[in-house]
Amino acid sequence: MTAVQQSPPAGPPAPATQAPPARRGSAGRLRHAPEKPPAGIARLLPRTVAARVRALTALSLVLLVVLLGIGWAAVANAREGVRVIGHDAGPQVVATGDLYFQLSDMDAQLANALLIGDAPGGGRDQAVARYDDNRRKAGDALLKAAKLADETTENNTARDLLDALGRYERLAGQALLLDRQSPHPSGPPSQQVTELYRQAADLMKLDLLPKAYNLTLDNGTLVRHTYEDRRSAVLMGRTGVLVAGVALLATLAGFQLYLAKRFRRLLNVPLALATIGTLVLVGAGTLMLSGQAGHLRKAKEEGFDSILALSRTRAISNSANADETRFLLDPGRADAYEQVYLSKSQTVLYLKAGNLTQYNAAVQKDLSFEPGRAPFLGFLGTEANRPAESAEQKAQLVNVMNGVLRDYRKVQANDRRMRDLVKGGQRDQAVAARGAAGADFTRYDRSLQALIGIHRKAFDDAVRDGDGGTSGWYAVLPAAGAAIALLVLAGVRPRLAEYRWSK
Amino acid sequence: MVEVRARRTAAAAAALTMLGPAAACGLADAGETSVATKDRLVIGVNADQPGVGEREGDGPYKGFDIDVAKAIAGRLGVAGKNVAFKRVYSATREKMLQDGEVDLVVASYSVTPERKVKVAFAGPYYVAHQDVLVRASDAGKIRSIHDLKGRRLCKVRGSVSFPRIHDEQGVAALPVEEDGYSACLTDLVENRLDAVSTDDLILAGLAGKAAANGRKLTIVNASFTDEPYGVGIRRSDVDGCEAVNKAITGLYQDGTMPQLLKRWFGNTGLKLTTTVPQFEGCV
Repeated sequence: MTAVQQSPPAGPPAPATQAPPARRGSAGRLRHAPEKPPAGIARLLPRTVAARVRALTALSLVLLVVLLGIGWAAVANAREGVRVIGHDAGPQVVATGDLYFQLSDMDAQLANALLIGDAPGGGRDQAVARYDDNRRKAGDALLKAAKLADETTENNTARDLLDALGRYERLAGQALLLDRQSPHPSGPPSQQVTELYRQAADLMKLDLLPKAYNLTLDNGTLVRHTYEDRRSAVLMGRTGVLVAGVALLATLAGFQLYLAKRFRRLLNVPLALATIGTLVLVGAGTLMLSGQAGHLRKAKEEGFDSILALSRTRAISNSANADETRFLLDPGRADAYEQVYLSKSQTVLYLKAGNLTQYNAAVQKDLSFEPGRAPFLGFLGTEANRPAESAEQKAQLVNVMNGVLRDYRKVQANDRRMRDLVKGGQRDQAVAARGAAGADFTRYDRSLQALIGIHRKAFDDAVRDGDGGTSGWYAVLPAAGAAIALLVLAGVRPRLAEYRWSK
Repeated sequence: MVEVRARRTAAAAAALTMLGPAAACGLADAGETSVATKDRLVIGVNADQPGVGEREGDGPYKGFDIDVAKAIAGRLGVAGKNVAFKRVYSATREKMLQDGEVDLVVASYSVTPERKVKVAFAGPYYVAHQDVLVRASDAGKIRSIHDLKGRRLCKVRGSVSFPRIHDEQGVAALPVEEDGYSACLTDLVENRLDAVSTDDLILAGLAGKAAANGRKLTIVNASFTDEPYGVGIRRSDVDGCEAVNKAITGLYQDGTMPQLLKRWFGNTGLKLTTTVPQFEGCV
């Protein structure tokens, strides 16, 4: 368009013969062009060949800088996303998720210690040692959770947790001391001890565990927000790179055409190289950013979400296991503990059932599933329905999940047997059967950990890919930018020189 | 069982198809205003539960749920005059949320895995338990649900409370059919039956109403189920759900919830939990 406007009516003359080269302002006066002086926006357009060449050069360089800037920001967002999810808040949230497990295991071990009593084998000492170990780990996790807390309500929750943990410790200490003062064989301890344990268990169930759980949910929110913000920033950056890249490519192509027309040359090689360089840079950049968005998604959805959900499953299963101990420990509350066991079991794997007997039976029916169509809900239902990327991964997940289900059924079968024994008046045998059932529960817990392991690997892989995918781009961007800029200048310089000579 | 399972699978499939487009176009989804940022809220509530959610004629809604709803709205930055209440029924709660007729539901709405397929739940803001209400004069004789054997127990049509005791817990109570818990209350007071069993908060409300008329009733405090009362919210509104959770946490931390529980149920003899319940989680 602009070329036509500038050309004398006779047609385009060879550039070398064009009268006095291009000095801004003088052209109009010298050439007495028949057309009216351009009005409006057209006035802003350069009106000599050299000025246009300079303008196109400037435009190319500006677009290049814009492209590099957008690319740089998108890389920064991708790296920050991977850093927070993969190395900072993500792992810490998983650690605070273990807080729930450690707290509920403290209570489980306290129940064990009180139930075992002075039975030979040192069972009580082992239980107390595990209790102490859990308490130490819970302290660590609580500290991490408090550090992550970035809002007043979360800080208050962390503080309340610390306070409640102190009260729990006091009750637990009293119960253990009192229990030692009145030796008894395996089975329910004295009424006074049971009363203290009830207070401790209520504090754990109604105060500590809900707060620990909610704190992990709050911290999970933090990770989710980072993920969504960074991922959409990366995707927007990708769009930005594409738009700026296409604009730069169009400019370079137009520049090439213009030069070919004005200067009667077939191809400006440096400019062509700059165009190809840009094309490669934009293509590679877009691919890299798509990849980063994918790594972020994989780390969050295939790794983090499942790890967190399964660590909750582990914790809830463990505390349900402790409810079986409590059922034996405190016959006065047996109904309530049975009900709580049912509701925790249904949280883990939901099948419709009105009471525990129905549930125990329902679990023994066919639980085989196709991912996406699991015949059960609850945490395990959600995990069974998670989409897997590759067929291989899918097969692996189904395989491990089937192991979890198999072991879970065993745990529920043991539960039924234990309760039937109690209902049949054989409480001692039921207490004795807890030992063997413990091994089955441990196997179930290991299967859950194996499932967590698969997701942890997906998480680690995605984080490693995320780290690797952007490494070097902080060097690539300036280097490629400098190369393209130099090529453009190299392509333009001889053309502009022609004007200087003819002057 | 098969039938139930088929229905559940269908529900799960429906949830997946709902999720599909939402996940595919995150932006379109974000276009629907989150409860967290709304200036006005329509909250679905019950109108027939004394002490929990009740409305007499065209008067104002009153009860624990109503106060909780107002307090949550307040914490979301919506002043009382911009909160509208709308009556919901058990059968329509999910649909009204999905259609956007109500923004939140605070209506003794128990969180269940089946409902979670259709809507999301913030909270629970309280965990109620099924319990038993008897005349104060019978309190010595009825101490657990097992003592209901051979006694007349109210059976509200469509409610799961009676089957829970009779079928699931295997207690051979005698059914006295009624259409609602207010009718059960009248029967209990007038000696036509011996016990009413449903969520303890609702029982406490009934007991309070009877006490206002000079009749003394007692809650047995023999709870045997957990009924986590959640705040129903549109399934895709994760931000809104998290904001409501934060509001509930704040209401427990600043003492509002314990105060409301005490105000509505303090003198009913019900054992109240005044610490924040374990949340369901929004995703």
